[in-house]
Amino acid sequence: MIQARGITRTYQTHGSFTGDRTVRALRGVDFTLPDGGAVSFIGESGCGKTTLGKILTGLETFDGGELVVDGVELSKLRPRQREKYFRRIQMIHQDPYSALNPTRTVEATLGDPLRMRAREKAAAGEQAGSWRERAAELLTLVGLEPTAVLPKYPHQLSGGQRQRVVIARALTVDPTVLIADEAVSMIDVSMRLGILSLLRDLRARLGISLVFITHDVATARYVGDGGELHVIYRGEVVERGLTDEVILSPVHPYTQCLLSAVPVMRGLEEPGPDRTAPTAALDERTPTPGCLFQPRCPFAGAQCAEKHPVLVPFGLDAAGQGEAAAAEDGSGHVHACFYPESRRVVGVEVGAASA
Amino acid sequence: MSEVEVRDLTVEYQTSVGWLPAVAGASLDLRAGQITGLVGESGSGKSTLALSLLNAVPAPGRIAGGTIEVAGVGDLTRLGGKQLRKARGGAIGYVFQASQNSLNPLKTIGRQLLDLGRSHEVGDLRALIARAKDLANRMGLDGDRVLDSYQHELSGGMRQRVGIVFALVLNAKVLILDEPTTALDMLSQASVLDIVRKVHDENQLSTLIITHDIGAISEIADRLAVMYGGRIVEDGPLLDVLRRPTHPYTKALIGATARITGDVDGARALPGRPPDLTTVARAGCVFRDRCPFAVEVCAQTEPELETFESGRRRACHVEPSTVLTGPVLTGTTGTPAAVGEPA
Ligand SMILES: Nc1ncnc2c1ncn2[C@@H]1O[C@H](COP(=O)(O)OP(=O)(O)OP(=O)(O)O)[C@@H](O)[C@H]1O
Ligand SMILES: Nc1ncnc2c1ncn2[C@@H]1O[C@H](COP(=O)(O)OP(=O)(O)O)[C@@H](O)[C@H]1O
Ligand code: SF4
Ligand code: SF4
Ligand SMILES: [Mg+2]
Ligand SMILES: [Mg+2]
Repeated sequence: MIQARGITRTYQTHGSFTGDRTVRALRGVDFTLPDGGAVSFIGESGCGKTTLGKILTGLETFDGGELVVDGVELSKLRPRQREKYFRRIQMIHQDPYSALNPTRTVEATLGDPLRMRAREKAAAGEQAGSWRERAAELLTLVGLEPTAVLPKYPHQLSGGQRQRVVIARALTVDPTVLIADEAVSMIDVSMRLGILSLLRDLRARLGISLVFITHDVATARYVGDGGELHVIYRGEVVERGLTDEVILSPVHPYTQCLLSAVPVMRGLEEPGPDRTAPTAALDERTPTPGCLFQPRCPFAGAQCAEKHPVLVPFGLDAAGQGEAAAAEDGSGHVHACFYPESRRVVGVEVGAASA
Repeated sequence: MSEVEVRDLTVEYQTSVGWLPAVAGASLDLRAGQITGLVGESGSGKSTLALSLLNAVPAPGRIAGGTIEVAGVGDLTRLGGKQLRKARGGAIGYVFQASQNSLNPLKTIGRQLLDLGRSHEVGDLRALIARAKDLANRMGLDGDRVLDSYQHELSGGMRQRVGIVFALVLNAKVLILDEPTTALDMLSQASVLDIVRKVHDENQLSTLIITHDIGAISEIADRLAVMYGGRIVEDGPLLDVLRRPTHPYTKALIGATARITGDVDGARALPGRPPDLTTVARAGCVFRDRCPFAVEVCAQTEPELETFESGRRRACHVEPSTVLTGPVLTGTTGTPAAVGEPA
C-alpha cells in the first residue's frame, strides 16, 4: 500500500530567453494506492504526471509532503534504506523504443536482472530456480513466446512486443507496484488494448498494484475494476472518484473540458449534450491567485479569481453544507471547484441515450 | 470532381533482397472540398503514399508505376526540376509526420518563411508574411510573436499549427497532414483538428489526413480510406464505413479502439502484427494471416479493390454481408498469453 500526502515539487529554471522561473510541478498531491488496486492520473502535457511517477519510483526527489510505503514513511529513512522500498516500485516508460538497449537480445536484457535477483534470493535463504526458467515464465506471462523472442533484438520486435518485453523486465525484480507512464501512447492503436489487458491481468493474477498515467482518458477504463481516477491540473488534483463515475458525471470544469476533447466516433457515438472547451490556451505566466483554471474556465464565477478552491466531497458546498456523496475519510467523489455541476460531456453510443 | 487522382500507384524501396513495393497498385481520389482520412497500422504505407503525392519519395525509394493527376498541374510523376518544386508547396501543402521537429532550430519562424518564399520565387515577400500572420491569427496563435520565435519556444500543438501555416501560405489547394496529432495530448489534439477543419472550410481545400487512430479523425473527416500492406483495402463516406465496415481489417481496426463509454470487454486488440515490405504476402490477400474470415481462395488470389455499391469500394473475397454480421473482432481480452502477438 502506498499513501501520498501533500507531495510537492518545485523546480527552478534558468532559461536564457525566459529568465529565472519557478515551476510548481506538484502542489500537494494526496492519493492512496491499496494493494492490488489501481489509480489513474489524467491531465494535459506539463501538468506534473511524470514528475509524480518519478517521485514514486525514487528517480526524483520531493520537497514537501509524505510518502508512506507499507506503513513506512520514506523521507525518514536513509537513502540506502529507501532503496529497498523503491525497488518494489517499477516504472514502465512511454517509449518502448528507447527503453531497450538496441545492441542486446531479449535474453541478455532479462538475464542480468534475473541473475542478480537469484543471487539475492539465495543470500536470503529463499529458493531461486534457474534464471532461464524464470525468463521463460515471465515472457509467457506477458504474452510472448519465449523460444521465439529470447534471441531477438529490439528492432526485430513490433512496438507492442517491445512494450511487453519492457514489462517483463520490470517484473524481474518481483515488484508490488507498477507505474505505467503513457505506457501505450507510443504504440499503434491496434496494439494498445493488448497491453492494457496485460496490465489488468497482472493486477488480477499477481496482485500487483498500478499507477496508470495517461493523457488518453479512454485507456484508463481498461486497466481493471475499482480504479480511481485523479484529474491533475498544474500540479494539483482537481477531481477524484471512481473512474467510470468521473467519466460519466464529471463535476469539475477542467475534467469536463478534458473529457469533451475525447474524439467522438461519429456514426457509432453521439457527442455528449454538455460538451465544452477551455476558453483559452494554457499560459503558465498568467498569475492565478484564485482557482488555477480560472483564466480558461467556461463556467468561472465571482469568487474564482480571488479564492483558491480545495478538494471537498461532491454535494457539500464550500462552507461544508449539504448532502455529501463522499465518505468522511475522503474517499468517494471529490472536487476543487466553487461551482461544481455534473455535466454529461463524453460521447454516448448511438441508441444508448434513448434506450 | 477530384483535385487529386491517384491511379495504380506502385512505390518501391530498395532492400537487401531487391526492390520491394511499399505501395502496390493503390488508387485513391482526393475529392474537392472534402477531408479524406487515411488510416492503417504502422508500416502500412501511408506516409510513402502521401510523400509520392509530392513526388518526394525518399531514397532508396522510387515511384515504379501509376499516375498522380493533380488539377491544374498534370501528372506529378512526370514532373521534375522547377515545375515539381513549384507544385510542392504551391499546389500541394504538406505537413510532415513529427513536424513538431521538422523546423530549423537555428532560425526564427519568420526567417524560415522568407526562405520558403525566396525558394518559390515569391515577388512580394511582405504580402507573404502578412498572409502567414493572418493564417496564424486565425488558428489562435499570436502571429507577430510566432514569427519572432524559435522552434523550441513553441509547444507541440503550436508547432503543428506553424506547420499548417507553412503548408498553406503559398495558397496550396491540397493539404496533406501526416499524423498531425500523434504526439499531442487530448486538448491540443482537439484544437489542432478543429483548426484543420476550419482552415479547410475557409480555403475550400482538399485535405488528406493520415493517422493510425480512427477515433482521432472520425470527427472531422468526410471520407475514410483504409490501408494495409501497401493496398487500399476499403474506402467510402466516413459515417457509412464506420457504421458498416465491410472489410475484415476495417472492422478489426474500429473494434480495437479504446472507447470512452460502453462495454470495456467489447473492444479487442488486433492479434498478430502488420507486415512490412519484406514480410507482406506475395500472393493472395495481404491480410489473410490475421483474418478471421479467410477462405481458401484468399491464399491464392489477391482480391481487387472494387466498387460494390455507390461510393464504396473494398478488396475482399468474402461477401460484405458476411463480414458485417460476422464476429466483431478477432482478438480476445482473456489471458495475456491469448492476446499475445505471435513473435
Ligand atoms: N527509406 C526506406 N527504406 C526502406 N524501406 C522503407 C523506407 N521507408 C519506408 N519503408 C518501408 O515501407 C513500408 C511503408 O512505410 P511507411 O513509412 O509509408 O508506413 P506508415 O504507414 O507511414 O508507417 P508509420 O505510421 O510507422 O510511419 C514499411 O514496411 C517500411 O518499413
Ligand atoms: N527537471 C526539470 N527541470 C525543470 N522543470 C521541470 C523538470 N521536470 C519537469 N519540469 C516541469 O514540471 C512541470 C511538470 O512536468 P511533467 O511532470 O514532465 O509533466 P507531464 O508528464 O504531465 O507532461 C512542467 O512545467 C515541466 O516543464
Ligand atoms: S472554481 Fe471557478 S474557475 Fe475554478 S473550475 Fe470552478 S468554476 Fe471554474
Ligand atoms: S480476402 Fe479473404 S483474407 Fe482477405 S480480408 Fe477478405 S476474407 Fe480476409
Ligand atoms: Mg509526461
Ligand atoms: Mg507514417
